[in-house]
Amino acid sequence: MTTAVTVATLEIRDLHAEVEGKEILKGIDLVVHQGETHALMGPNGSGKSTLANVLMGRPGYTVTAGEGRFKGEDVLGLTADERARRGLFLAMQYPVEVPGVSVVNFLRTAYQSVKGGDVSALAFRKHMKEKMSLLGVEDSMVNRYLNQGFSGGEKKRNEILQLAVLEPEIAILDETDSGLDIDSLKQVATGVQQLIGPNLGVLLITHYQRILNYITPDFVHVMMGGRIVKSGGKELAMELEEKGYEGIRSELGLEKGAGEE
Amino acid sequence: MARPATSRLDEEALAALPPVPDFVTALRKGAFEEFLALPIPSQETEEWRYTDLSDLDLSFAPFAPGGAARNLDEVPGEILEAAGVVGDRAGLQIQRNSEVMVTHLDPELAAKGVIFTDLDRAALEHPDLVEPNLHALVPTSRTKFTALHGAFRTGGTFLYVPPAVTVELPLQTLTYLDADGAAVFPHTLIVAGEDAEVTFIDRFASPDLSRALSDAIVEIYAGPASRVRYVSIQEWGDGVVHLGIQRTRVGRDADFRSLAVGFGASLARAEAESVLAEPGGTSEMLGVFFADGTQHFDHRSEQDHRAPSCTSDLLYKGALRDRSRGVYSGWVHVRPGAQKTDAMQTSRTILLSEGAFGRAIPNLEIEANDVRCGHAASVGPVEDETLFYLMSRGIPRAEAERLIVFGFFNEVLDRVRLQEVRESVSAAIEAELARGA
Repeated sequence: MTTAVTVATLEIRDLHAEVEGKEILKGIDLVVHQGETHALMGPNGSGKSTLANVLMGRPGYTVTAGEGRFKGEDVLGLTADERARRGLFLAMQYPVEVPGVSVVNFLRTAYQSVKGGDVSALAFRKHMKEKMSLLGVEDSMVNRYLNQGFSGGEKKRNEILQLAVLEPEIAILDETDSGLDIDSLKQVATGVQQLIGPNLGVLLITHYQRILNYITPDFVHVMMGGRIVKSGGKELAMELEEKGYEGIRSELGLEKGAGEE
Repeated sequence: MARPATSRLDEEALAALPPVPDFVTALRKGAFEEFLALPIPSQETEEWRYTDLSDLDLSFAPFAPGGAARNLDEVPGEILEAAGVVGDRAGLQIQRNSEVMVTHLDPELAAKGVIFTDLDRAALEHPDLVEPNLHALVPTSRTKFTALHGAFRTGGTFLYVPPAVTVELPLQTLTYLDADGAAVFPHTLIVAGEDAEVTFIDRFASPDLSRALSDAIVEIYAGPASRVRYVSIQEWGDGVVHLGIQRTRVGRDADFRSLAVGFGASLARAEAESVLAEPGGTSEMLGVFFADGTQHFDHRSEQDHRAPSCTSDLLYKGALRDRSRGVYSGWVHVRPGAQKTDAMQTSRTILLSEGAFGRAIPNLEIEANDVRCGHAASVGPVEDETLFYLMSRGIPRAEAERLIVFGFFNEVLDRVRLQEVRESVSAAIEAELARGA
């Protein structure tokens, strides 16, 4: 007996993109399978967040060449909600405050949109409660207005709660570790670690190695000047920690990109 | 659908109205003369700059029967439905077209001296309370339409709360219009005695009509140290022109709070005015508006500080979709001697379509030197960042916009303390937002 296993795959081929007429992504090739964890590291200004935003379809980013396929379909022409309903997720670097809309109301609307059809309030609550207890999210958070008055740590934990509730196949985490103190970082990273498994592929975008103390990637990629310049296993992150981005640049004989730190 | 007998606003129609006490007859007569003499307000004036009624054909039927009901069970289902989420009410009155069908008041409140009844009946039974107050805040001579109202009004609501009586649950009137071509003249007169407390909900609803006129006046007297809450929910159908004025006299140390919800009518002009007539008064005016299609809203407000040490706060929020228009203009007046005034005025308008037009015109006129006054106004589209955030979670654009508008209005509702009011208004908002889905 043979079992066909379908694994969702995000395939990025020779992706070029610009913002306000300026080319930021200069040919990205990357394949992320469901069940894998990829860390994408790079200095500020290297184009990491642009890649995240282009993949999710944020307005203001123009794809000039290449393709981004998800489960075989080119998704770069789809709207953000269509991509989300196909199983893509982006945890934002700067989650937006939405006054007057409670987290639970928002999550239920999103859950219904993603899963399709009517989900009873009761069934949804049960699902949400399970994820909350998995991540250690307290009841009071979901009754507050979405991100309004949230601390930096609360905003990022809320992003991870959304990831848990919506159960995407591939999630892009855009600098989920940025701006967090060590306790918040630990909380958020442990949450992500709880969700990692055969059903979730992760593209973890980060500037620092420190989040990788809690999340062990299967693959590490280094991005510079709008390109992935080096890929390897988890040991690449350690190498990066020792040499710094400057060390990788000189090893590869690269110039510092415009606007790159 | 009831058929009006005549469609002329003339002397003959005036004479055919149901009989009323002499002082009301005299008021009708005087108002009719004013109606004939006054012009339709011109767009040349600042007050009417944004609403053009020059082409308004006044051939409306001044009296359309509504019938009577002995109790709520006899009221047709579609009318009860229009009353909305009623929940627990201390009193409920239903006016259909020109006639009050039924009034119910908790007998315990009646025993305490609370009066809640048809305004015409009140004029007959309680002239001491009605005569000095009817059209004292909104004189019939104010415009051609207030004169028309004074001449042809029938029905209406009278609410009196004696001194030191607290009415815990809200009272509500529904004015329901289903006579095509009719003019209705809803009038609410509220008199709250010293240290009285009451919440009143005025609801206006109709099916879509080919044409009709709602010419409405609300006069509220908040006695010394009283707590008065007034909520209006305007859900007229298409085809209705709504011209409404709500004016409140806030007495010494009184606390007046209003919430105006405007969803319906083809054209709605709504004026809300608080006169802080004696020291220590407070006025909070909240507003929530949603227009779509080709609806035209002209909202005006006035916070008139005539006495020292009063506080007023206004927050109006509106959302405009399709090719609708919404204009908000607000005045804060601080008269000479009204020292220690604290007045704030805020309006926020969201434009959901490129073709929608919104404008906000705040005005401050300050004639005292020891005051704190401020205003803030904004008109603009939903922020792309917010829309993208919601859409990135799988929520389609239209649904995301609805959620944003719901939240935007929710911030106003959060300031409403009474659970029963919040529930009614929240249900009305959800129904309105779902309507365009």
